[in-house]
Parts: sequence; C-alpha cells; structure tokens
Amino acid sequence: MDYIYSILTLTGITMIGVMGTYMVTGLTGQFSFGQAAFMAVGGYVSAMLTLKFGLPFPLVALVGSAAAMLTGLLVGMPTVRLRRDYISLVTFGFGEAIISVLNNSAQLTGGAEGLVGIPKRVDLPLVIVSVVCCLFLVACYKNSKYGRQCLALRTDELAARSMGIDVNRMKLVTFLFASAITGYAGVLYAFYSQYLEPGYYNWTVSAEWLIIVFVGGINSLTGAMVSAVILTSLPELLRFASAWRILIYCIIVLLIINFRPNGIFGDWEISRLWKKRKPVQGGLP
Amino acid sequence: MQNRGFKVKSLLLMLFAWSGLAMAGEIVLGNLQDLSGPTSVLGNAVTRGAELAVEKVNAGGGFKGDKIKLVTVDTKGNVQEAIKAFNRLIDHEMAVAVLGPPVSNIGLAIAPIANEKKIPVVGSFIDPRVTVQENGNPQPSMFLIQPTSTQYAEIIASYANEKLGFKKFAVLYDQSNAFAVSMLKPFKAYIEKRGGSVVAEETYTKSDKDYRAQLNKIKSAGADVLYIPNYTQDLVITVKQAKQIGLNLPMVSGLDAAPPFATLVGDPEAAHNIYFANNFSDKEPQLTEVRNAYKAKFNEDPINKAYLGYDKVTVILKAIELGGGASGPQIIAGLSKVKNVQGTTGVLTLSEKTHQPLGLSMVMYKIENGKYLEIGRYVPESHK
Amino acid sequence: MLQNIFFGLSLGAVYSLVAVGFALVFNILKFSNFSHGGVMSFTAYAGYLAYIWIFDGRISGSVMFLAVVLTAAVAGAITAVGIERVGFRRLRRNQAPVIYYFISSITLGILLENIITIFASSNFYSYPVFFSSKNIEILGMSFSVADFVTLLFSAAALAILLFVLYRTKLGLAVRTVSFDVNTASLMGIDADRVVMATFAMSGALGGISGVFLGMNYSLYPQLGQLVVKGFIASVIGGLGNITGAVIGALLLGIVEVALIGMVGSGWMPACVFVIMLVFLLVRPRGIAGVIVQEKA
Repeated sequence: MDYIYSILTLTGITMIGVMGTYMVTGLTGQFSFGQAAFMAVGGYVSAMLTLKFGLPFPLVALVGSAAAMLTGLLVGMPTVRLRRDYISLVTFGFGEAIISVLNNSAQLTGGAEGLVGIPKRVDLPLVIVSVVCCLFLVACYKNSKYGRQCLALRTDELAARSMGIDVNRMKLVTFLFASAITGYAGVLYAFYSQYLEPGYYNWTVSAEWLIIVFVGGINSLTGAMVSAVILTSLPELLRFASAWRILIYCIIVLLIINFRPNGIFGDWEISRLWKKRKPVQGGLP
Repeated sequence: MQNRGFKVKSLLLMLFAWSGLAMAGEIVLGNLQDLSGPTSVLGNAVTRGAELAVEKVNAGGGFKGDKIKLVTVDTKGNVQEAIKAFNRLIDHEMAVAVLGPPVSNIGLAIAPIANEKKIPVVGSFIDPRVTVQENGNPQPSMFLIQPTSTQYAEIIASYANEKLGFKKFAVLYDQSNAFAVSMLKPFKAYIEKRGGSVVAEETYTKSDKDYRAQLNKIKSAGADVLYIPNYTQDLVITVKQAKQIGLNLPMVSGLDAAPPFATLVGDPEAAHNIYFANNFSDKEPQLTEVRNAYKAKFNEDPINKAYLGYDKVTVILKAIELGGGASGPQIIAGLSKVKNVQGTTGVLTLSEKTHQPLGLSMVMYKIENGKYLEIGRYVPESHK
Repeated sequence: MLQNIFFGLSLGAVYSLVAVGFALVFNILKFSNFSHGGVMSFTAYAGYLAYIWIFDGRISGSVMFLAVVLTAAVAGAITAVGIERVGFRRLRRNQAPVIYYFISSITLGILLENIITIFASSNFYSYPVFFSSKNIEILGMSFSVADFVTLLFSAAALAILLFVLYRTKLGLAVRTVSFDVNTASLMGIDADRVVMATFAMSGALGGISGVFLGMNYSLYPQLGQLVVKGFIASVIGGLGNITGAVIGALLLGIVEVALIGMVGSGWMPACVFVIMLVFLLVRPRGIAGVIVQEKA
C-alpha cells in the first residue's frame, strides 16, 4: 500500500504546485518558467528553520509559504511591468539564480549534496486536506472579483486597462498568491521526502507543470487538477515500458494539444454539476 | 456534457490493475537505476552487470535452488521518481533487497524509507552520509560496496601529495554535482592537513560547457597540479580546453577518467599527464569472466559501473547465505557480516559500524599521450 | 583581459547560431521554439552517424568537417520541417493561441531528447579532431584553430541567412508572413510553404550549431538544452530580430566570461539574472529596439 500512498502523496503535492502555475498562466496568461523555484524557497526555508531552530511544523509551514511570497514580491514587482515573453525569461533566470544561490551557500543549505535529516511531518491525510483547502482558496479566487479581472486582462490587456482594471496590481496579487501556494507545496515536499537538493527545482519541473495545465485546459481549474492526477500517475502505469514511457507521455501530450486544443476539459468546471449559473468564460482569442 | 466520457476514461486509467506476485522458490532483487535520465549511462551499466550476475546464478540452477529475479525500475535521475520507484520495488514487486544507484542524492532520499521498511540497499553512492547518520550510527539499511568519497578523495590526495610530491593544488569542479562536491571537501582537508595548499578553487555548474575562463585563472595561480573530480564528459571538455589555452598542468581525477575517457578526448596531446584512481585493474584475473560475458552479450566493453553492478548481486547473495534467509532483516544482518568476499572490484569486507567497505585499495593509473599506464594498487598509510 | 574577450566572443559565436535559429521561428510564428534544442542534439548525432557510417576512412580533415556540417544541416532542415508538420501545422490551422505552440515545442524537445537517449544512451560520443589541434600564439595568448573556425562559420552562416532574408524573394515572403500571416495569404503568398522554409532554415542553423556544440562539448542527449542560452540572447536582442539576436548572443558570451572572472561561476546565474532584469526594465524592447507585435 505504501507504494500507492507515495504516488498519491506526491501527486497531491504536484497538484498544489500546478495550482500555482494555473493561477499565473491560466488566470493572468503569464508563463512562469521558474515556478519550481518558489517550491525550493518554501522547502528550504521551512526545512532549515526546523533543522537549525527546531521550530514546529505548522509554524515553519507558514513561514515557508510567506518566504516564497516575499520572493514572489521581489520577482513580481519588476516583472509584471514587462511584456509576456519577458516574464518567462525573467522567471526562468530567477529559477536558475535560486539554484545557484542554494548551491553556493553550502554551509547553510548543504549545497549540491543536499539537505538531509529533515523530520517526516507530512503524510497522505495532511496532503489531501491541503489539496482540498488550497483548491477551495484558488476556486474562490477564480470566481471572485479579482479572478474575473484577471481573466479580463488575460484576454485583452488593453481593454481591461481601459475598463479601469489596475492590470499590474492584479498580476502582482495573483503572482503573490501563486508563489505562496507553490511555496507551501515545497514545504510539503520537504517534510515528506526528508531530503532536498537544488538540482530538483530546475526549469524542467516548471515546464512540466505548464504542460499539465495545458493538457487539462487553460480555462479549467478542474481540468488542470485532473490532468495533474493523470499525468503524474500515468508514467507510473506505463512503468512497464521503462525507457519508452517518457516517449509515450510526450506523444499523448502532442495528441491532446493537436486534436483537442482546449485541453481535455475546455472551460468546463466541476462546479457546473451543481451550479446552474454559467461561470465566467475566459476564452483566449 | 461530452467531456464526461473523457473523465470516466481518465478515471479508469487511474485504476491500478497490476499486482506483483513473488512466486515460491524465487528471490526478487530490486534494481533502482537511472535508465533514461542524465546519468543513464551509469544506470544502464549497473543494470547490465547485475543482469549478468543473475543470469550466471540462474544458469547454475539458481541460488540454493531458488531462481533470482531482477526487477529494474527507472529513477529518471530524479529524486521524486526514485522515491516512487523504490516504494514500488518494495511494496509491489516484493523485492527483498535493492541494488542502489551510483548516485548519492538518490541514496540520501531513499535511506529513510529503506530504514523504515527494513529493506537493505546495496549501492555505490559514495557520499558517507548515505551510510552513516549525522550522529555517527550507521543507516540501518544502507550498505556501500566501494570506497566512500572521503576514503576515495584521500586515496587520490595522498597519492598526489606523498607519491607524486605535489604541494600546490588547483581545483576545478562542478558545484551543482553532489559527486564532485563530495569529492572536494575531504581532498582539501587532507591536503591542508599535510601542509599542502589549494591555491585556486574554480567552479562551474551543470549548464556551463566552457571552462576556459576558469582554466585561465588557474593558469595564473601557480599551482603544481589540477584536481578535477568530475564526470567523464566534463573531463573531456576540461582537458581539451586546457590544451586550447595552453595550460600544461598535470591533473588528478577520479575513476571518471577511466576508459573510454581517453578515446573520447580523441587527442593524445590533450589526454596527457593525468593521474586517476580506479576500483580495479583490467589485468586482474577475476574480471576476465565478467568482461567476456559482457562483451559477448552487449557487444561493448564494460565500464567500471558494470562490475559494481555485478558485485552488488554477489554481495547480496552472500548476505542471504550469511543471514540465513531471504527477507529484508535477515539480509541486513547478513550484510553486516560480509567478510573477504571476492568481488570483481576487490575483496570486500563491510564494516558493521559504518556499513562501508574496510581498507579497499584503489588502482592508480596514469594517462600518457592517450595511453593508460597502470601504476598498481595504492592505499594511503592512514587507511591501513 | 583580451584573451577573455576572445573567449567570450567565441562562446558568443556558438550562442549566436543557436539564438538566430531560435529567433527565425519567433520572427514568423511569434513563439519561443524550444524544440530547437531537440533539433540541435538530433543533428549533432546525425552528423556523428554520418561520420562513422559514411565518411570515416574516405575523407579527413577539413573536407570531413565540411561534409559533417553539411549532413547535419540537411538533417536539421528535415527534422525541423518534420517538427513543423507534427507539432505546429495543425495548431496554425486551428488558430491556436501562442501558448500552445510553446507547450508543443517543449514537448517535442523532450521527445527528441528521449529518442536519442533510448537509441544512443549507453555511451558518450565525441567527434574526431577535424583540425590540427595546434594552438596559434598571438601576443603571448593562445587561441585554438577550432575557435577561429567557429567564429568564421557563424559569421558566414549568418551572412548567408541575412542575404536570403533581405535579398531574395523567399526572404521577402518570410518577412511578409512574419508581419501578418493572413494578409500575406491574401496577397497570394503560400504561408504554409513560407513557414516550412523558415523551419528548414532554422533547422539547418540548428544542425550547424549542433555540430559545433558536439565538437566543443562532446555528444550527449541533453546537448540541446543549451538552447536556453539562445533564448536569453534572443530576448536581450529583441525577440525575433536576427541582428539583435547575434548582438545579444555575443554580449551574453562576453558577460558570462567576464562574470566568471569577477565573481566566479557559482554566482554567475544570479548575476546574469539581475543584469537581465535591469536591462529589460531599462530597455524593454531589447537591443534591436523594435517592438514585435504580440500575437494576442
């Protein structure tokens, strides 16, 4: 059973990470190529606080997420002013920068050899509760005034600006929220795996999260979540194919992007099952 | 609601329909290796070596009548994948012992799980933290069958310092590579203890492929010798670029300079004046059988990780015999008793206190004009 | 100092080939084509295979080098056109948002990388030494012949490319399509063929850079991940602008080498990040200074 538990736990953590990407990409239409770096910040800050000062888990989880949010502020402040293409570059550079900082402060972080001895504080029930809570928060955000403003500015920034939406502020707020959530995913990962290494957080992880969001459907939070579950457990199912499984995974992604361009779910949300009211549509032109 | 069909399908996909069954009279050994990631060269070699060992045992009627089954899972060189794969080996494939990867990061990440499940992992992860906890106790389930990075780096440092007489060292290493970093610290400590000094310490990271600026700084630092404890590919680039900028220092390195390194460099003038330590010598008789079998089966020369893979199986089987049965705790007990087992890479005795091999020597080599010259086995005085 | 500038330039020359292949596709389809990395690894291997299967023993030295480069360029052009068919043609028909091209290109990059891993992983490979490995000594500094060839070749390839873009009918068509696909089609330009031609050119450049990367850094499946350097360079240069990409790449090479000299390689990515951020805030249009119309 532990095998299934470990898959579910890691899938849950990925889901929380994907929520961050969904907010940045799905809501405001920016590419974040360094989202995994916030996971690193959350994970390392919380783990180091526990190891150096023995602080309790709930406190460090909070501080870890806050630290990720603070870093989000540092990166977000200048970047929201930039063109969309540049944001992907800046976040990418930020991700590399974080890794280089982690590798360079070996006395604190263990450098490339990694940080060991983190106590195990995270198990499947906690992850499930976390997923539900985060999902609730993100869903509320999406359906709030802010979420709608975000969708508006994603679709047409100029129009949104002329309607009186403070575009940069909205982007920043969403970016901060997303960083905090991703940071929390990092905390969970640190206290589940009990081992951290800088190399884990490179841009390929961020790219994988982006792929997940797209496969599910950029307009659908439900889609992003379901595709997170499928795409992280699919490689496990395909494990028999060993070296070929990444290949198969890529082909599936290509098929979906080509033949179902709005992702598996389009803009369908699970809340429609019990809500008659038509939710906000945010189709890209 | 056309999407619902998709959803049902995807839910069905998620159902896990397999169940691993260990058949009676069968011993399942897990093999946790990187088969498709950046270190897949190493992972594949270990796997092939282990396969040869298993085939040999099975062809001879199995281990005391039991067939050995080797189940290999892929880590993609990624810690998260490795955790999942390791759990799969234990829970699903019912492996009683696992052949670990030659990568320390993954060793560190699976150690807590292995300890909790009491499933032994026999690996070649050289970071001493994989086998010994910070409080000095051994990690109960983790065993190493090659020198640790501390032993290894000290062997090289001692050879360079005491035998070759070098005093001023320059270092160039991959700061994002755990192996390189773990080979650096003990090296520096040893050299400084012996009155030598490190006059230049230059780094690069995984994504850099041009080291000429660093090498140029080293050139002007006045060192006697350059220490490069990095992966093979980086070494190839290093020696080529060193030649390009006219840096003529002798170099010392780890076993990554072993064949096919010189062939890969393809330039005898660049692959020159390099000393390195390998686990074994190609001339040693115990290797012949494995090498021939490997060549016959895979049509290429084995690299040293293949021999380590072979030895991992040998050691585990020996431990089953010593521990009195093929279950996790019994094998763990047996592994602590492994003494003077003839492996392909040397005679193995595992320490009960550290779960690391005792007094393993290494074979020193020198590369001259692209040719490998064997110098002989070497153990520093302090290790004896 | 002078020597470091030269290192920076020769590093930048390799980056510039990558960046231009990258910028070409951006120029026309307005997305960052990460499959370019896959093309580079793929062609580097193709060139190597051609060397061991066909050329080895028949020719040598610089003739061999030219033959390998040519093979790689052709292989690159074919691969890139294939990628366009598989990955982007349908997306264009569907008028999919840019973001989908982006995902498709990343996936294709990973796919190519893994195909190589599956078929060629168990060893590293390296190209033979094409040129005399003697160094040239100038003013007490030594330079390798390979560096000069890299510089020369990058310059030549870029010159040919610029000639095609600005002096031929095909180039005119490419520039028109990059301006506005729909209008171009209305004007009687076969947009599909122009896009294909663009991918072929970008692929050929990818092939050439693949051989250079393989020559300098040995062959391994992740070789193509150096495409991110091209990405950085082409953004600094002004997205989609060819000349800008070249300048950006050369600057990046020099800055990287200078930073290694000053702060060490460990902190280099952090410094590059800060410099990049400041640069983008001060001059958001990139060096070339032309704003590319965003395709929504």
